[in-house]
Amino acid sequence: MRFTIFQDSRQGDRDGNEDRIGYSFSREVLLMVVADGMGGHHGGEVAAGIAVNEIQRHFQQEARNRLRRPQDFLVTVINAAHRAIVSHAVADNLLESPRTTCVACVVQDGIAHWAHAGDSRLYLLRGGRLVAQTSDHSRVQQMIDSGAITQEMAATHPDRNKIYSCLGGVVPPIIAVGGEHALQTGDTILLSTDGFWTQIPPPLIASLLRKQGVVDLLPGLLTEAHRRAGGESDNLSVVAMTWEAQDDPACADTQSMDGEQFTTSSNTMELDRAIPQEEVTDEEIEKAIAEIQDAIKRVPR
Amino acid sequence: MPSQVNQPLPGGYVLNGYRIDKPLSSGGFSIVYLARDESGTPFAIKEYLPSSLALRSEGTEVRMDDPEHLSTFRHGLKCFFEEGRALALISHPNVVRVENFFRANETCYMVMQYVRGRTLQFHIQRNRAEFTETFIRRIFIHLMNGLREVHANKLLHLDIKPANIYLAMDGRPVLLDFGAARITLSEEAMKLKPMYTAGFAAPEQYKFVPGELGPWSDIYSVGATMYTCISGTPPQAADTRIEKDRLIPLRTLTRETYSDDLYALVDACLKLDHLARPQTAFELQKMLMVEPPEPGRPSFLDTLNKPLSRFFSR
Repeated sequence: MRFTIFQDSRQGDRDGNEDRIGYSFSREVLLMVVADGMGGHHGGEVAAGIAVNEIQRHFQQEARNRLRRPQDFLVTVINAAHRAIVSHAVADNLLESPRTTCVACVVQDGIAHWAHAGDSRLYLLRGGRLVAQTSDHSRVQQMIDSGAITQEMAATHPDRNKIYSCLGGVVPPIIAVGGEHALQTGDTILLSTDGFWTQIPPPLIASLLRKQGVVDLLPGLLTEAHRRAGGESDNLSVVAMTWEAQDDPACADTQSMDGEQFTTSSNTMELDRAIPQEEVTDEEIEKAIAEIQDAIKRVPR
Repeated sequence: MPSQVNQPLPGGYVLNGYRIDKPLSSGGFSIVYLARDESGTPFAIKEYLPSSLALRSEGTEVRMDDPEHLSTFRHGLKCFFEEGRALALISHPNVVRVENFFRANETCYMVMQYVRGRTLQFHIQRNRAEFTETFIRRIFIHLMNGLREVHANKLLHLDIKPANIYLAMDGRPVLLDFGAARITLSEEAMKLKPMYTAGFAAPEQYKFVPGELGPWSDIYSVGATMYTCISGTPPQAADTRIEKDRLIPLRTLTRETYSDDLYALVDACLKLDHLARPQTAFELQKMLMVEPPEPGRPSFLDTLNKPLSRFFSR
């Protein structure tokens, strides 16, 4: 697989950052995940952190070579993350369990699969246009669908923050799956939390991506989203991946990775409950011991 | 899972050329044994064995049935390697020396120099009357030599406390247990889950902002250790001090007479603001070397050269 990936999460104008994001990939499979912990609930960032960690952990267990059924995998892991949040709340005697939205995407064999619960979004952008997207599990989206309000009215509607599916709630999340989308060279998949997508319309992203790659474009676009919120910006997070020409030698190929190897990156590190993700291999142990023995010999006693 | 206690290796067991004599201590992550090599030289061997994973109920092999445990076990092993790496870089009379490091029984072992003596913790409990100002200054001046060497190697100890400072038979303090030590420039090492001891850890260690950790974090712990030497109890834990600072001023806790200079010095080390503390071990050492205005009583250190048995016998 050859692709370019970018991710960043910013606090905006809030006191803390309750967004958690991450990606992880092996030779054959890529996972991207975004979770927006819910304010007003205790420890939204804890719920979002557990969601990202759980999903990455399951990914690394089950995607050793390939995922058998990516779609089923996504539904299973989102449910597993929901249960992990609830059991965290039980273990810590919380009166109310913390909650989070979640959107996750898997790419395998050049095909993208995604699933989500809540109002964090995924866009598939191709040739300057938005070709597919998730549909928010929100009150305003229902009203738009029923024709009660327009897109523009939704942006300022008093109920715009109300969502009816999330992880960690009393009822299990309603999980929407996105079907299978074969990727073409130059396609970009962008996952984001509402702090970002409420400010930057998808056609703008799509047209800007024709001139700039994700790594160059998105830092500035995040800053612009923050600016547009006029001092009241929510946390803003984005994970974006551009599918490159699969024979482009200028772009790193995951095929050069070891079969068992994973590359993982997320902003959940600071969480106490972070589960160690990286396996320590026998070779690494031998290498560490050799280094220590070498240092013992080198330093005069 | 019921908590099981890991079985120590039996006495007489031969491990990579070292004959196990007896377990000296066991902590949450390891067991330390007294062992001897073929020539009879004693060593302290530390075996990595996290008790929470309950790994050895019998025999000598460490068993790992649950793959999830294996992952946690190996992650902890990384911390153990950090400790080995940290110690291997340092050769100093005031820092415990690591002599060997190897893998056996499905886990890892660190062979360290065996220091005869007792921990500062032991002496605080038994011989606190002997902690005169002159004695405290001399112990910590020497300890600062070791800590300067640690910091010069871009390491932070991050767990300095009375239980981790040995007083060797010759009166020399030796810094032990680098289980929390981190190579400050290695990003990987800073990601490992931090450990701390309440009362001795600096406030920035609780916050776990790697950028705020520095020599001054160890200085805080040194200050807390001096505080404990003088008062017999550790200071209020830094995390609760951040919320409400109820640190009992040292001078109200002592019956002995110490100089205002020493109280001020301990206070400075225990500042919550890391920039307000002495910034380096050298700076603290220089402060310790300033002679107190009034001469102290003859120190414990002075008597160490004379009859030792009094202090080291039960």
